[in-house]
Amino acid sequence: MAQIELIGVSKTYRDHVAVHALTALNLAIEKGEFTAAVGPSGSGKTTLLNLIGAIDTPDTGTIRIAGLEITSTPADQLAEFRLRHLGFVFQSFNLFPVLSVMENLEFVPALQGVPKPERVRRAERLLEGVGMLELRDKRPGELSGGQQQRVAVLRAILPEPDLVLADEPTANLDSENAGLLLDMMERLNRELAVTFLFSTHDPAVMGRARRLIRLRDGRLIGDEKQEP
Amino acid sequence: MLFWQMAWRNVWRYRRRSLLTVLTIALGLAFTILMRGIGDGFHEQMVDNSVRAQIGHIEIHRSGYQHDPALLKMLPDVQLLERIVSRTPRLRGFSFRVLGDGLASTAENSAGVSIVGIAPQAERSVTAIDRAIITGRFLDDGMSRPVLIGERLSQSLGARLNDKVVLMVQAADGSMGAQLFRVAGIFRSGSPELDRGVVYLLRKDAQSLFSIAGGLTEAALLLDSSHSVAEAQQFLTTRLSGQPVEVLPWYVVEPFLRQFIELDDAFFYIIVLILFIVISVGILNTVMMSVFERVREFGVMMALGTKPRQVVRLVVQEAAVLAVLGAALGALLGSASTIGFAYTGINLSSYAAGASALGITTTVIHPELTSRNLIFSDLSVVVVVLLVAFYPAIKAAGLKPVEAIRHI
Repeated sequence: MAQIELIGVSKTYRDHVAVHALTALNLAIEKGEFTAAVGPSGSGKTTLLNLIGAIDTPDTGTIRIAGLEITSTPADQLAEFRLRHLGFVFQSFNLFPVLSVMENLEFVPALQGVPKPERVRRAERLLEGVGMLELRDKRPGELSGGQQQRVAVLRAILPEPDLVLADEPTANLDSENAGLLLDMMERLNRELAVTFLFSTHDPAVMGRARRLIRLRDGRLIGDEKQEP
Repeated sequence: MLFWQMAWRNVWRYRRRSLLTVLTIALGLAFTILMRGIGDGFHEQMVDNSVRAQIGHIEIHRSGYQHDPALLKMLPDVQLLERIVSRTPRLRGFSFRVLGDGLASTAENSAGVSIVGIAPQAERSVTAIDRAIITGRFLDDGMSRPVLIGERLSQSLGARLNDKVVLMVQAADGSMGAQLFRVAGIFRSGSPELDRGVVYLLRKDAQSLFSIAGGLTEAALLLDSSHSVAEAQQFLTTRLSGQPVEVLPWYVVEPFLRQFIELDDAFFYIIVLILFIVISVGILNTVMMSVFERVREFGVMMALGTKPRQVVRLVVQEAAVLAVLGAALGALLGSASTIGFAYTGINLSSYAAGASALGITTTVIHPELTSRNLIFSDLSVVVVVLLVAFYPAIKAAGLKPVEAIRHI
């Protein structure tokens, strides 16, 4: 069974006009994949990530992640599911400004009930791995955009999720920082076998993915494997 | 612990707004503590004036006397009573008296009066009537048939110092008793009721007048404070359970005073309620703004797995930080101002004439700081703030993560 399964998923946003964000989408992603959802703005990439991330619900269709059909799961259980199985990286970092780097990393494991010494040990190991240990007590406002996004990826990884969803993670970064971030994501994917699904419309980033899911106007128009 | 850290730091993200909110809570609370302190002090002084004027903190009569005062309802086994009364906890003094009604007459006029037969030394330990003498002197066992009359009574009778006054009563045996007395002193107690309608005489003279040799009507006890009444009443009620007597606290003897205090308390609570509503609106505004400014943050928290109830907890904890800081500062300011005014007193003598008409003789109020006041005020404000915070907290918890994250 695939780690992520979408069967006939559709989502329409109804504000002043109806916008078909996704239409009858079928998709399966296996554990350990390093996949990019690509397409122009408005193609449905973010909606796809939100639905898989269980922070939005489809109008029709079924989404199954690690065997759980999230489309019929109550909100409180979904929160628990996200806590235990998913990691999120947002386009604009979204670290908690009142917490230090270390505390931001500890946030999710603390919710999971991981004891503090264990949380700190894991966070220090990851920070050391990306050469950021000396920044552990800094607040997000004291970091560069690249550093913040790397912390955001570490925050997503630290709780050891099954799947990390990253919405345009390099959009606010320069090419050097974007490269560093992708290096880190690739390494974590390889070493920890964490499944990564990220959205992008940056051709340079697309080249690093091992699978490309192409979307346009909410429809799947291509699904190809590629050598990185 | 992480949530408390976040709550604490979130509060100080908006330093000026939070400080203003803490100050609002603190000033509201300080005002409440001071007003309650003034009220408590005023009430305590009213009670003290009243008990020191005549009634004492506790009165003991023969059963049924309070409901239907009659001369024949005299105290049983006075020696036993005296022995038990003298062991009452928190006791400062006690006086056994003879009470009755009669007619006081002079050559010029006459007036219906309450007659109180006292033992001078014992009476000094309970009431302040000896210090209220403005002309003449207090009663003395060595005097021959002396009486003390109030200033107003002296005016209405036309009786001056050393003048003769005839007291006429119906004696216990049904006969009419009339005896001649001489005015030994004139008092001004400040209580219109006492000054115009009470005559004090020696206890033995009263027993003779009423033909009740050795008989006594009531025991009045003065305690160290009105807060000791319950303990003393409990002691006496237990020890005198086999005796046909009633042990009455001051508020049963003077129900008007108690009703006045309760009414005054009711006004105070209405003011506090209005004040708390104003504070609540301020808190609600602060917490709402704090929530609306962090919608995206709440969205991220929920996307990462924070449950709605944990979001509620965080917002309420932030309000709790404001409430506790405000309560601590308010308690400090309220206590300091109450203690300060307790030391200097609040002079209300310019309103004394109006107050006196109501029987209120207190002109300088010394506020009282009690632990009950502090705990009640502090807890009330904290509970109000926490309750108010629930509305924005529930709003925050009800956000949809996907919409909240997109919030600008």
